[in-house]
Amino acid sequence: MAPKRKLVKLEAESDEAFQELLQPEYKGKKLTDEINTAEDKWNLLPAFLKVKGLVKQHLDSFNYFVDVDLKKIINANELVLSDVDPEFYLKYLDIRVGHKSSSGPEVREVIMPPHECRLRDLTYSAPIYVDVEYTRGRKIIMHKDLEIGRMPIMLRSNKCILDGIDEKKMARYDECPLDPGGYFVVNGTEKVILVQEQLSKNRIIVEADEKKNIVQASVTSSTHERKSKTYVITKNDKIYLKHNSISEDIPIVIVLKAAGITSDLEILQLVCGADPQYQDLFVVNFEEAAKLEIFTQQQALNYVGRRVKTIRRAGAPKLSQLQEGIEAIATTIIAHITVSDLQFREKALYIATMARRVVMTMHNPKMVDDRDYVGNKRLELAGQLMSLLFEDLFKKFNSDFKANIDKILKKPSRTSEFDALLSINIHSNNITQGLNRAISTGNWSLKRFKMERAGVTHVLSRLSYISALGMMTRISSQFEKSRKVSGPRALQPSQFGMLCTSDTPEGEACGLVKNLALMTHITTDDEEAPIKKLCYVLGCENILGIDSATLHSDGNFGIYLNGTLIGTNRFPSKFVSDFRRLRRTGKISEFVSIYTNTHQTAVHIATDGGRICRPLILVQNNRPKVNAEHLRKLLNGEWAFDDFLAHGLVEYLDVNEENDSLIALYEADMEDTDSAFTHLEIEPFTVLGAVAGLIPYPHHNQSPRNTYQCAMGKQAIGAIAYNQFRRIDTLLYFMVYPQQPMVKTKTIELIDYDKLPAGQNATVAVMSYSGYDIEDALVLNKASVDRGFGRCQVVRKNTIQLKRYPNHTKDVVSGMRVDEDGQPIFEHQALGPDGLGEIGARVVNSQVYVNKSVPTNAGESVLGHNEQTPSIESHRETPAYYKGPEPSYVDQVMMSVSDNDQALIKVLLRQTRRPELGDKFSSRHGQKGVCGIIVQQEDLPFNDDGISPDIIMNPHGFPSRMTVGKMIELISGKAGVLNGSLEYGTCFGGSKLEDMSKILVDKGFSYSGKDMLYSGITGECLQAYIFFGPIYYQKLKHMVLDKMHARARGPRAVLTRQPTEGRSRDGGLRLGEMERDCVIAYGASQLLLERLMISSDAFEVDICNKCGLMGYHSWCTTCKSSENIIRMTIPYAAKLLFQELLSMNIAPRLKLGDIF
Amino acid sequence: MSIDRSKELSVRITNAERDRVNFELFNVDLSLANSIRRVMMAEVPTLAIDLVEIDINTSVLADEFLSHRLGLIPLNSEGIDKLAYSRDCACDNYCANCSVKLELNTKCDTDSTMSVYASDLAKFQNGLTLGNPVTRDAAKKGPLICKLRKHQEIKLTCIAKKGISKEHVKWSPCAAVGFEYDPYNKLKHTDYWFEDDAEEEWPKSANRRFEDPPDKDAPFDYKATADHFYFDTETVGNLPPNDVVLTAIETLQRKVADILVGLKDENVETSNAQSGGFTTYGRTDYDNNGGETPSGSKTPYGEFGGGSAWN
Repeated sequence: MAPKRKLVKLEAESDEAFQELLQPEYKGKKLTDEINTAEDKWNLLPAFLKVKGLVKQHLDSFNYFVDVDLKKIINANELVLSDVDPEFYLKYLDIRVGHKSSSGPEVREVIMPPHECRLRDLTYSAPIYVDVEYTRGRKIIMHKDLEIGRMPIMLRSNKCILDGIDEKKMARYDECPLDPGGYFVVNGTEKVILVQEQLSKNRIIVEADEKKNIVQASVTSSTHERKSKTYVITKNDKIYLKHNSISEDIPIVIVLKAAGITSDLEILQLVCGADPQYQDLFVVNFEEAAKLEIFTQQQALNYVGRRVKTIRRAGAPKLSQLQEGIEAIATTIIAHITVSDLQFREKALYIATMARRVVMTMHNPKMVDDRDYVGNKRLELAGQLMSLLFEDLFKKFNSDFKANIDKILKKPSRTSEFDALLSINIHSNNITQGLNRAISTGNWSLKRFKMERAGVTHVLSRLSYISALGMMTRISSQFEKSRKVSGPRALQPSQFGMLCTSDTPEGEACGLVKNLALMTHITTDDEEAPIKKLCYVLGCENILGIDSATLHSDGNFGIYLNGTLIGTNRFPSKFVSDFRRLRRTGKISEFVSIYTNTHQTAVHIATDGGRICRPLILVQNNRPKVNAEHLRKLLNGEWAFDDFLAHGLVEYLDVNEENDSLIALYEADMEDTDSAFTHLEIEPFTVLGAVAGLIPYPHHNQSPRNTYQCAMGKQAIGAIAYNQFRRIDTLLYFMVYPQQPMVKTKTIELIDYDKLPAGQNATVAVMSYSGYDIEDALVLNKASVDRGFGRCQVVRKNTIQLKRYPNHTKDVVSGMRVDEDGQPIFEHQALGPDGLGEIGARVVNSQVYVNKSVPTNAGESVLGHNEQTPSIESHRETPAYYKGPEPSYVDQVMMSVSDNDQALIKVLLRQTRRPELGDKFSSRHGQKGVCGIIVQQEDLPFNDDGISPDIIMNPHGFPSRMTVGKMIELISGKAGVLNGSLEYGTCFGGSKLEDMSKILVDKGFSYSGKDMLYSGITGECLQAYIFFGPIYYQKLKHMVLDKMHARARGPRAVLTRQPTEGRSRDGGLRLGEMERDCVIAYGASQLLLERLMISSDAFEVDICNKCGLMGYHSWCTTCKSSENIIRMTIPYAAKLLFQELLSMNIAPRLKLGDIF
Repeated sequence: MSIDRSKELSVRITNAERDRVNFELFNVDLSLANSIRRVMMAEVPTLAIDLVEIDINTSVLADEFLSHRLGLIPLNSEGIDKLAYSRDCACDNYCANCSVKLELNTKCDTDSTMSVYASDLAKFQNGLTLGNPVTRDAAKKGPLICKLRKHQEIKLTCIAKKGISKEHVKWSPCAAVGFEYDPYNKLKHTDYWFEDDAEEEWPKSANRRFEDPPDKDAPFDYKATADHFYFDTETVGNLPPNDVVLTAIETLQRKVADILVGLKDENVETSNAQSGGFTTYGRTDYDNNGGETPSGSKTPYGEFGGGSAWN
């Protein structure tokens, strides 16, 4: 609304307009304007994005990894000892990425800017330095800044040279300031580690199969050392514990006894409390233990130990059964709870809790957990994945190092004193290569978890700015795509505000690939210990000090920290509110969540990473805490988003805590109600993500249309980045004249789509014209096309490497060849004297753009040929030919040296394309169509001002699609054009249709957006009124020029001699089975013969009518005669089949006879 | 249909500016009025850059991009009739009789961004205004071609040729041609869509002031035809609006004359009813009879017309 107000004032007094220029302005809003909290609270959103940004989760996660996680990994693996020399040790003291110990972390030691890495096919990385302490002989030596490898650096992370620099410096590095970062550059390609969604770790999930009458509680324990899954499961109404490393399910009572709770009464108290119904359900379990005569912990441990699957490394001492049992309980079962000094109680309580959850679910099947509930999911980001990978590589590095020093130390006599550092450097390549390979292939193979995950990384799509941005917010699910289940694919109510409701692909990955909403944040790990201490201070009774009988007594709430019971409290609401107060005052991290679960009588506190959360405005007494004064400070720039957090006006809620709150959508909703609201939404349109945010008036559209647009917005050709002309990518599309949309949304402004748009505002007439517009085809105006509508450039990279060979020969680029007149020959017309394509030269089909030659003797050995003088014909031409129906122009030629000292030539070829028949266009409402005809301007309809449309769209596109948003976009766009303003189509808001109609009427148009048009052909006015106005149209990357294909004769496959397949190989068009059926049914047998044999793989064979086998040269090799040879034509594939059958001892014999 | 000769064709100019003219056309048929409109848009020859020979282009814009922009620059086309169409000219490629040469030679040497305007195009002198870039802005700079950064350079030669907008809009003299008739909708050619009242809801044309409001009680005259047309010709500046209108009419006349000439041609079978309605449109190479009335044209599938295979 703000810009409109501004405009009205502009018209009123020019003096004031001048005054306005002097005023600082914020998003079309003056400081002196009255601040309306209800309307202006949305300004928190840009403030949020300023601090957080759209890809902040990736950056945060990577920063956390390099700053915190790396050190943790080093501490966990700090010592390298030798089996040979007990005196020897090497200890890692510290680790740093990108800077030496002598300089501070603000120094970024990166050798090359990222754009150079992209161009030269290098990896954007920084050295990893460690400080070590080790023994050399009798001395202990400290060594600082030992480089153990190079770490790929995430762009815009705090180790990146682009962090915190201004636009000018960005330009100096050839970087686009609008590029979000958050990806890696590995071997010249931009790689994104997609956000991975998985079930939360270290939490109990209870599931029930009501048909089979099975209830199971499972927990995936994840520690640095191992990952394992423990189940507590029912079998015939009895409860067992199941674990992969135990060969048999163990009755729960025995497990609990093994864990030190030997009294049956105590077991009953811990699992069932005083509830007689639970007790009845559980009591059968005691029988089994009694039958097996297991009463003591010793017996139970023996029982468990007998059933442990032991995989002992060679050399390790054999353990007794009791020891096996202890080991299993202590380390393998529920591995994330550590046991020290054989204090099993905590673990016993955890198992008892699991058993209790199972009993509760047996009693009431509704007590199960929902796997698809977003609160039960965790998002794994680049940093976490990198840390898993790094730890694996680091362990491998250390074990290699250890093996190496052992080998040296074993030698009885050494000439010099052994220095461990000399052998550490040998392996430094392993970490570098391991990281590079994992990121560039996307295969995450972790030896210690025996985990193999493919497709973790993807190449960043640079089709348009939006496609790159959309990729950074994408979340991929670990769930199998092939499974036909609806649960994980369905829209979860808990997704609200966290994950975009519209942006998901169609087809197999539907609902499994999701996108983050605009205002989400993903947490990183927080320290658990201080929170635990705080809980005890706030009145939580320590679990180790509680009498088992009172644990589950009425009104006693368990306090769970990250899924582990740490204590109880009798006044949960006070506890929770005290805790929240501390969080709001900033005493503890704002991302720690706390919520009560009354069904489980539990208070859950979560500090773990990967939870999705979002900021909300706090509400007190149904009044938002954020008031006009605060917003004024925000607009003044006095306050940033973090100040709102620090003052307890805004807080982050994760999905679970959201369930504990009452959130008002609008301020007005809180008036005159009895319900006590706790929070207020900052802006409702943040339920959508960045890509869905481009759609104007999405709340008026049928929902699948918005989903379609989300898919198509990523295919739209437009501006890519400010450095787009400096990029050399495999394939890039640029629009020649991109325009920002007439109807914007607030999201568009926030993500800077208006600065890097992908589309043009086309004047659209919704009417039928010429019959070439059926089935969503569009009619284009030739004049518009001439003037540059839909014009785009396509640039394609061609890489040529000049190799060096072991015999000191190398590939060379030879100059152009000329004919007798001194003119270059046709093939070499595009070349310069250096043998490279000249910039701006036109290259047509079968012309050369790099005249490369390879040495003829490249394969020869290094030795022995030295006596020969190199012949003149030492090189053979292997030029790079241009192939394509349309000529290209040489745009850029880059020559550089890649990693392995080989010359690298990249030639960028450019085409400029104007729209043609069959090119695909789409509006922002999932309405795609191809160009059906291009019409002369004078033939097109026009209004009385002489305005003719750029596009005519058939009205049949509307009724079934129900894209009302498109109609409103047209009206708002038209009003904007007439008014000289940009209108807004923000979701759940935007310019009101009524206001737009008012503008139309004021400017002398019909309020409905309809116009009276004249036929361009007859001049008569059209009987019908025509819906006429601007709609933002995107040109999609699918263009006929890239798809057109026809073949008469052409290449054939070697094996079958049939025509090749596919456009790229100039293949034939297949006459398939069904088409064959048609021809048979029609009776055109000669056509069948012609299509299937004569035009395909006809082959003349000599067949011996005596033996029925094939001979050649009119000679049957089997019969040794030429008597019965008959020559006939069969498909080569048939001949091949016969021969293949012969080769496996099956003799197909042909018996030929006369038919006429 | 008889034409009412009592009403004479007349024109009234209501408004004329440098780049636009509003006029009314009385007592002509709708088809003729529309033809004038169409010819003004599509077939009035003007001058526009058609060939660009690029020597140096180190600007950010690609060669094709720049050429496209140059093509769309309106060039003064007064006196275009003295210029021949390049395809009709006797010369090999292009010459002074069929083209105008312009040159652009700029280099940015300053630290700030330099803008290159159409007025920077230097024309090879031909003693005429023909081919001068049209400038309508106060600074007389004309349209912006591109922007240059320090050390970027453009050196190119443009060959402007005569052409019509049917081939490419760059040769269009008009920005938009407004056209209207019957502002009161007396003829009921259109039925205004409305919710309550069409009169209320639809905007009223400014041209209503030239006509009498309809008599509400009068019966609908189903014989009435449109005979009063309102034109609004807006040019892009390469030709003055009166030239556009006059050339359009002249072009239209010539087209009609061409038809007449074509129809009078000896070779045309004016009546070929007996030949089955086939005509060769004056072309003699259709059959081997050499201009004689064909007894039926031959197709690869046999003889049609006279002795058909289906008879």
